[in-house]
Amino acid sequence: MFEGLLVDLVPYGKDFLDRENEWANAEASFWGSGGDRRVVSRAQTQARLQRWAEALESGHDTGVAFGIRAKDGTPLGFMGLTWVLPYHRLAMLGAKIGDPAYWSGGYGTDALLLVIDYAFDWLDMHKLWLTTTGFNRRVMRQMEKVGFTLESRARRETLADGQWHDGLFYGLLRTEWPGRDAKIEQLGLRVRAEG
Amino acid sequence: MIEGKLVDLVPFEDDFATYFEQWMNEESWFRARVWERREPHPEDAVKKFIEKMEKNEHGALIGFQTKDGDPIGGVIWDHEWTRVRKVDAILFVGDMRYEGTDEALDGLLMLLRYVFETRGVHRVDAAALAFDEVRIEFYHRAGFSHEGTLRQHVRWDGDYVDLELFGLLEDEWPGYEQITAQLDLQPSGIEPKPKPEKKDEKKNGSGQQPG
Ligand SMILES: CC(C)(COP(=O)(O)OP(=O)(O)OC[C@H]1O[C@@H](n2cnc3c(N)ncnc32)[C@H](O)[C@@H]1OP(=O)(O)O)[C@@H](O)C(=O)NCCC(=O)NCCS
Repeated sequence: MFEGLLVDLVPYGKDFLDRENEWANAEASFWGSGGDRRVVSRAQTQARLQRWAEALESGHDTGVAFGIRAKDGTPLGFMGLTWVLPYHRLAMLGAKIGDPAYWSGGYGTDALLLVIDYAFDWLDMHKLWLTTTGFNRRVMRQMEKVGFTLESRARRETLADGQWHDGLFYGLLRTEWPGRDAKIEQLGLRVRAEG
Repeated sequence: MIEGKLVDLVPFEDDFATYFEQWMNEESWFRARVWERREPHPEDAVKKFIEKMEKNEHGALIGFQTKDGDPIGGVIWDHEWTRVRKVDAILFVGDMRYEGTDEALDGLLMLLRYVFETRGVHRVDAAALAFDEVRIEFYHRAGFSHEGTLRQHVRWDGDYVDLELFGLLEDEWPGYEQITAQLDLQPSGIEPKPKPEKKDEKKNGSGQQPG
């Protein structure tokens, strides 16, 4: 649907849903949930996906889900708007790449730039925001690269491996967004993708 | 009922349900419920909200009233997250004569007492629109720390307004007895309002249409 340099954003379909249970039990889930270590059965994952599908269908879930797909077709993970409030023109972002082998290689940022353009240019959002935890260095670095502002720090909000950690709130206003092309230029991503 | 210094926490029913049809349409409701869309709440929507909160396993809507039984408004704890023992706290004042009074503040303190001392939470989250000074003052008096500002976060009457975020941790909560003694809460002396008229129990079958 949307073509990036390293990945494409595609519908979050069967290829992705089939991987959900594996990802739910993997390290990605710990990072994505801010410290939870889930041990879930296939049936539990199935039930969760069922509830999610129903919530989307009923309009209770206002989100938009994309799959992140590598250029060779490998389904990498989820990128999307997890909570959209049209009357505030506000959307929350969420992302999860399932296989750690694909972390820190620029895939997540490539997908993020696409979804930011989508939210501003197609959904006419005023602001995008997301929350993460104070120990998620990859997300913090990503926010810095892309130009989000750290707006709030919820003290000792989450527990991860026995330690309390702060929650971080990041925001990006439309007026602060130079557009994906300019961002790619600024970060030198084209060179990096080809190199 | 849970008895406090100036107010008691009571089930959100009877007179509260009657007043709520008015309260839920006033600006103070939308100031308290920062994520909500500004829209009219007809009888049905009000009822549905109460029912939803009654079924909510991660939260509740509780009424608070003066010692004379005069309903003031509601307190809400919601989105209780058991793994990290965290909860959102919301105070709304329905009878605006009580806005900014120690009775209203006591409503918030009673909510904090309940979530910390009965539910055993570790952290309470609260939010206020940047211009909602009375609420922000309450958060400070209750011991919350201001943790950040979500810029231009919420649409309000033609503008984007900042959302101020606050947090209070269990080891920062001195206990209800201590904090109320420290704050020296004083009754406002506001006259209880007359009881609302009982609504006709008339069953008019099909739903009423406006106009
Ligand atoms: C979050 C996620 C989508 C980001 O995607 P990604 O492809 O890893 O991100 P990128 O590679 O574009 O950016 C990560 C940056 O963090 C850097 N980084 C990695 N580890 C780091 C560390 N310990 N300290 C500082 N920076 C670090 C990377 O080097 C990279 O920066 P660079 O481009 O300057 O080299 C992905 O890591 C992921 O799915 N993680 C698990 C789930 C998760 O955390 N979800 C988000 C919850 S809010």
